[in-house]
Formats: sequence, structure tokens, C-alpha cells
Amino acid sequence: MSLRVQTMPGAMRALTMRLGDEIFAVEANCVREILEIGTVTSVPNAPDFVGGLINVRGTVVPLADLRVSFNMPRPVADEDTRIVVMEIEIDGEKTVAGVLADKVHDVTDLDAASMEPAPRIGMRWPQGFVRAIAKRDNQFIIVPDVNEIFARSIAAAH
Amino acid sequence: MSQPDPVAIFRQEATELLETLEANLLQLDETPDDKAVVDSAFRALHTLKGSGAMFGFTAAASFVHEFETAFDRVRKGEKTATPALIRVALQARDHIMILIEDPDSAGSEGETLLAALRQAVEGEAKAEAAPALVIEAPVAEAWPSGWKISFSLPADALAMGSNPLLLIDELAELGPCDVRARIAGVASLDTLDPTRSALGWEVVLRGDVSRAQIDDVFMFLSDDMELTVEALGEPASEAPAPAAPPIAEAAPSLAAAPAVAPAPAPAQAAKPKTKPKTESPAPQKAASSDKSNSSLRVPAERLDALMDRVGELVIAQARLNQLAAQANDPNLKSVAEDIERLSSSLRDTTMGIRMVPIGTLFGRFRRLVHDLSHDLGKEIEFVTAGEDTELDKTVIEHLADPLVHLIRNSVDHGLESADKRLAAGKPSGGTVRLSATYAGAEVAISVSDDGAGLDPARIRQKAEEAGLITSEAKLSEQELFQLIFQPGFSTAKEITALSGRGVGMDVVKRTIDGLRGSIDLSSQMGLGTTATLRLPLTLAIIDGLLVRIGDGRYTIPLAAVEECVELPLDADGEGRGRAFLNIRGSLVPFIRLREVFNLSTPPGQYQKVVIISSGDMRVGLVVDQILGNNQTVIKQLSKLHAGVRHFSGATILGDGTVALILDPMQLATFGQHGDGTHAEQTFGRAA
Amino acid sequence: MTKTILTIDDSASVRQMVSMTLTAAGYDVLQAEDGADGLAKATGNRVDAILTDLNMPNMNGLEFIRAFRAHPSGQGVPIVFLTTESDDGMKSEAKAAGATGWIVKPFKQEQLVAVVKKVAGA
Repeated sequence: MSLRVQTMPGAMRALTMRLGDEIFAVEANCVREILEIGTVTSVPNAPDFVGGLINVRGTVVPLADLRVSFNMPRPVADEDTRIVVMEIEIDGEKTVAGVLADKVHDVTDLDAASMEPAPRIGMRWPQGFVRAIAKRDNQFIIVPDVNEIFARSIAAAH
Repeated sequence: MSQPDPVAIFRQEATELLETLEANLLQLDETPDDKAVVDSAFRALHTLKGSGAMFGFTAAASFVHEFETAFDRVRKGEKTATPALIRVALQARDHIMILIEDPDSAGSEGETLLAALRQAVEGEAKAEAAPALVIEAPVAEAWPSGWKISFSLPADALAMGSNPLLLIDELAELGPCDVRARIAGVASLDTLDPTRSALGWEVVLRGDVSRAQIDDVFMFLSDDMELTVEALGEPASEAPAPAAPPIAEAAPSLAAAPAVAPAPAPAQAAKPKTKPKTESPAPQKAASSDKSNSSLRVPAERLDALMDRVGELVIAQARLNQLAAQANDPNLKSVAEDIERLSSSLRDTTMGIRMVPIGTLFGRFRRLVHDLSHDLGKEIEFVTAGEDTELDKTVIEHLADPLVHLIRNSVDHGLESADKRLAAGKPSGGTVRLSATYAGAEVAISVSDDGAGLDPARIRQKAEEAGLITSEAKLSEQELFQLIFQPGFSTAKEITALSGRGVGMDVVKRTIDGLRGSIDLSSQMGLGTTATLRLPLTLAIIDGLLVRIGDGRYTIPLAAVEECVELPLDADGEGRGRAFLNIRGSLVPFIRLREVFNLSTPPGQYQKVVIISSGDMRVGLVVDQILGNNQTVIKQLSKLHAGVRHFSGATILGDGTVALILDPMQLATFGQHGDGTHAEQTFGRAA
Repeated sequence: MTKTILTIDDSASVRQMVSMTLTAAGYDVLQAEDGADGLAKATGNRVDAILTDLNMPNMNGLEFIRAFRAHPSGQGVPIVFLTTESDDGMKSEAKAAGATGWIVKPFKQEQLVAVVKKVAGA
């Protein structure tokens, strides 16, 4: 895991979004589209992290809530709530999933200098869920390891 | 438009021909005197030879030729197809397969096989030199400066499709010609039979032309016609002036040829009347490509793409229906109804295209059993039933390997040796039965044998040795049998060459699970074992019954639905344990889906029970409301929901909402053995 | 005046090959997969020549030739049979049945075109 963090990226074009009180950034080129929240079908007995399904242009896409992974409160959706449709990789296979965001901010370039590997201790977040912490205008931005989060969710479900 | 590659078509065709050949040979094993089967086998060989040579599979073609020659005495009825001969012939058939699939990898066993074939037929190893395939090649020779050719055709030549004008055309292409007709034989008009050829021709052909080239022109007629060809003594000079006046104007087909003398008028009259040079009707070509093939090969991916499009159409149509229902516009409604009818029949047609009878697989197993029977020295009767049962082609493709494994298991481990069978009071020959049948929304395929049956004590012992269970574990017989599907489990005392290699029953189980199917084993000591696979008919679109449970809408595959009844008001309250409904005298367990799904909304006042069946299990599902039928395009759930029970997929409803599809099989099992599964369910929720 | 050739063969690859070759040479091609199918197409369409295999299920080549020659529209149309036997027995039998010519398999595409041109014209 530490190896992986050290090889972490240089500049990254990122989509930033707000989850709870934190700003998250995901790689922009993994983002397919951003949707307003429509009808979400809840899947009985599914883990809270992927408790729903949505219709994205005729395909059924799981809806994930990163706030569950980061132990954040989950207020009900409001007019700022968006679904970020992303391509993730599970076991080497590309899968499309929606990720809930309390608010989507903008697309920005995070340069290497502003990014630091996630500290291995003293973090509130589960090990391995954070790829890096970036700093912009005195604000910390969390770069989550989305693939890892999804992979762990699957492992936990089995 | 890209043309399909004939070589690729040949390979496909060869595969089918070899399958036919194999089936015929196996059939001959049972009915050695069946002339029709022998003929069919020969036809397969013949086409393989002809087409093989045509497309460059020369090694295969010459091998088949020898095969054919050796087998010819069977065709002539001089020899019967003995089991030994059939065995060699089957091996030869496999060799042809190799020669076609990968000629370079073919070893030198071809000669050995042919010798064995000849020996099996002749009873001696006399290798009779078969006539080789011959391509006739013209021989080069010196030729004179020209030829004088005179010929007349047999009287019936015109009726037989020969055209003297074309012969003259062809001569004219070899060099400048001077053509004269001999009209002496032509009858007067009143007695003239225009279908008979009465004319003769004399042609002087000048140029560097060989005698062989001239013979080539008349090659189809030389046996029956009057033909004299004389070399011209002197070198070619100026074309001589015609001695006879031209009789008629040149026929149009001759116009292009240089220095051609006109064809005589009587020849026109003598032209077969069925060959008028009218325009070729244009539409004929289109018709030909439509009607020429009663079957058509389509790459599987295109079928899959078609199915996807149809799925999208069905969803769009459902949306249109909903809009039409709201709009209150009779015209829109009627269009929506038309589209619904069309998309529904398009769906059925498309699904029909994908359905393949399972009999296409069964043939392979006949061969398998034949070979196993020989290798293991066991006498086996192989019985098949339900070949017409159709399944989605994707399902069929994935079934081959699991079925091979199950059949091998039956023959190798299931059936006892003849001695043991006799000692047990059974006939010396064992029976393996492969059958397919429709069962609701599923197809049930079973492999059964009348062998020794599974020994629960031995399975238990093996499972304990393998660390799969502890010695204290209390397991029912059925649960013990299921252990066979655990990775690493094998009960064969010694690993034979056939079974026990690599793949195990766990792979079978995984394959079947992947097809949304199930596998069950039932067995009785001393009497035999039956493995039953249950598979969904299709993987793509189903008719569904839409129901409401709490705030959510769910679809139940309609084919699994037996009936819907009211939940009696006096039925058990929200209690624990299982409850039963009395459906016309039989007790059917029912489950409250709102409880299974942990919904907190209060139940509706008039709940309904949907009775579903899976295999021979029946269970009632309590729902809040029945909303109606809908066409359901099955969308697989992603890996993220792989751990979630009770759903086989999801679908998109007319208003764009996603609805989950209930899995009748899992729910029926759940209803039957409620407690154990429920414990897991609760556990799953807590995790 | 495109000429129409009917090819009758139970081998789809041969039909395809014949069809491609003759189409490229400027003919229209009809296909039939056995003798019975061939007879229906030969009598139901105007064809300028017929290429037929001999060994076929469901009415073999010889039966086809005899049946077609006996049909009112079956006179005068050239019939070339495809054969793998190069022996004269088969040739004379087919000729006696009413065939116009033959071509020995395996043949090259040029040979096929040459034979069709020979019996049907360009």
C-alpha cells in the first residue's frame, strides 16, 4: 500500500465535490456524467454503501454513497444533491456506478506539488480509502481511492 | 457489403458434416444395416472430399478419399459395419477434424488409421491403391498454322443444352475463323423440328492453335458428335473469300468475334425456343439471395446486439404506453398499441432466433458414451429424451462441459462393472439417461444412471478428511450430497484416466450458478443417481408480474406464477416461523416479503399472495398490491450487488424507474427451508 | 443481358464459392441446396445454365437432370455437373441423363468461369 501511495500522481484533472463538510476530488476522466437525483430504487438487504439502483440512459447502475465509507452523516437529498456517474474498475473489469455528492463544485487541476500522500496514522478515515490529500486555498481536498473502496465493499458482502 | 469467406463457411460446414458423420456412425453401431444411414455417412464424406479439395484442404481431402474408398464395401452392402470398424471410422473422423482445423498439427496416424480401416473392412491389411484425384491438364504439343474443322451435333444436343453458336464463338476466340453451314440435313419448314439439330458446320481456323485447344472446345460433345479436325498444310495467309454467299446476318453474339462468318438462318430457326435472349429479369437477383438459403448463419455478436436493441425498444415502448395513457389522445393511444404489439412480436421473434434445441448437444454425448463404454469395458445403454427442448443459445453453449462431466461421472463412478451388477441382481449393461423437459419458466435437464448410487457414509468420510465438515456436524442426506460440489471434493477411490482430472463438480456448480440455474442430486444406494440441472429458458427478456411491496415495485417472472389469491384476514399475524395457506387442499408455505425486505411501512389492508413454483416447490409471496403484467428486460445486477439474495436482476419500468426482479428459485427454497436461510439473511443485514 | 446461373450443391461453401466467382464474372447466380430445391428454382425462374452437384440428399444430381429435362422448360438449358469422380462411368451416366458438360472437383475459379462461358456464353 505504501508503494502505491509513493507512486501517486503528478498533476491530476479532478472533479471536486462536497460530501458532508469535506471536499473530495475524483479523477475527471473517470467521470461520465453528472445527474440530478431522480428516482432511486432501494435494494432490500443490500449494504448501505450500495443501497440503491438508478436508471442511467436505459442501463441499471448501482448508486454508491461514499459518506457511508467515511462514516459521515447522511442528510436527505436536497436541490444541490447530484449523482456523479463514474467508471470504476472492479477485479480488472470496468463497471459504471453512480456516486452521491451533496454538491458538485468544479473541475480543477490539482498539481503534484499540492498533493501529499495520505498520512498513515492519525487519519479519521479507514486505511487505504484515501489516495492523497491535496491542498488548495488553505482547504484540504480528499482524493479517495474509489476502486479500493468499491473492492472492499464487495469483499465485505461475500 | 462484405462477402462471407467461403473457407470460413467450409470450416463451419465441415464441422456440421463431421457431426453428421459421427451421428451416422454411432447409429450404425445400433442398426448396422440401415442403408439410409450408410448413404448419409457417404454423402458427408463426399462433400467433405469435394469441398475440402476445393478450398485447399488437400490433406483432408485425400484422407477422406481413402476413407471413402475403404468404406465403400459397406456402401455396396458387401460388408456390414462391425463395432470394430465403427470404432476405427470414428477415430478416422476425428483425424479429419484435425486435418481441417489444424493440418499442421496432424500426426502421422492417418496412414495407420487407413490401414486399420481397410483391415476392418477387408479382414486383411491389403492396402488397395485408391484412384487419386486427378486434375486433367492439357499436354503441350506442336501445332500447325491452322485447322479445318467440320462438325455436326447429335440430334438431341440442343435439347441437352449445347449451343453450336457458342462453340463457334469459342473457336473464333482461338483465331480468325471462316465458318460455313452445311444445310443439307435440314428438313423443309413444314416438317422442321426446331429442337433437333440438323445442321453441320465447316470451320477454317487460322492461327497458332493446338489440337488440344480445339478438343477443349468440343470436350463435352466429342463422344457423341461427328467431328473431323484436319491440320492445314500451309501457313496461315489472308482469309480466303467465302465460297458460298452469306446466308443470314450475323447473330448478335458473334459480332464481337473477329472475321467470323455469319451464322446461317436455319440455325436461328433451330435455336432452342427456351433460350430466347431476352433481358434477364432484374428482380431475380434479389429473390435469389432471399430464397436461396433456408438457413442463414449470423455471428453471435450480432444476435446479442439485436437482443440489446430489442430490449431498449421494449423499454421505450413501455414509456410511450405510459405517456399515451396520460395524454388522453385516442390517436396516440392507438399508435402506442400498435407499437406495443409490434415490439412484443419482435421480441418473441428475436428470442426465437436465439433458441436452439438441446438435441444439438446430445449428439456429442452419444459419442462420449460410446468411447467411455469401450475404454472402461462397460456395456452402456445411452437413452436420451426431450431433444426438442429449446434453450437460449448462450445457455446451451455453456452446458456442454457440465454435462460431459456429469455423464462421465455417471459412467465412470456411477455404473458398476458387469460382474458387480450381476451380483446385485441387475442386468449386466447399465443405462445412462439424459433428458430435458420444460418446467415452468425453466428447463430441467437430468443425467441419471442405474448404478450403485451415492454412498452417504463415504461422502461424509471424504468430507471430513478434506476438512469440509467436522465429525460432529449433523447433515441431512441432501446436505451431504451438496458437499460434492465443494472445491476439492472427489469420491473416486482411485483417479481413473477419465474422471477426476482437473475439473471437478465445483466447476459444474459454478457454471450452472453463472447461468442462474441450480443443480440437485438425488440418489438411492444400489439403484442409481440423478443429477438435475434447472436453467432459465432465456437470459434476456421475460414476461413479468409487477407487484408493489411497501413503496417499491418488483417484478416476478410470470412463467413462475401459478396463481394469485387474497391473503385471508385470519392468516397468521406478523408472527415468527412459517405460515401455510390452504390452496385447494394442499398446504403451501408463504412468506411476507415486507418482512424479508425489512420494510417499516405498514402493510396494505388487502394483501395478496402470489403463488410461485420452482421445480416441484411451491411458495406464496405476500405482496401489498398486484399492478399487472409487463415485459421485463432483464438487466444483470453488478458485482456490487452480487451478495444480495432474492433478486435475479433488475429491469426498467415504463416511467424510467428501476425495479428489481424477484428470483423464484431462491424464494421458493427460502420458503421451503425458511429458518436456516433466514438466519443467514439476518446475518447478512447486520454485516 | 445478365445471364442467370443456378448452382445446386448441398455444400454451402461450394455454393458460396461458385456464387462469388460467377458474380465477379458478371453473372447472376441463384442457389439451391439439393436436387428438389434445384428443380423448383430451375423451373420457377428463367436460368441460362445450371451447375449441379451429383451427390446430394433429397434428389441427387442425376435425378435432378432427368426430372428437369422431362419438364417443359427443361429443354435446351445447359446443365453442367460437378463431380469428384473423374471416371467416365459417372460422366456417361450424367450425359445420358441429359447433362451438357461437366467440371471435375477440385476446380479453379478460372476453370469454372471458362466452363460456364462455354455453355452459356459470356
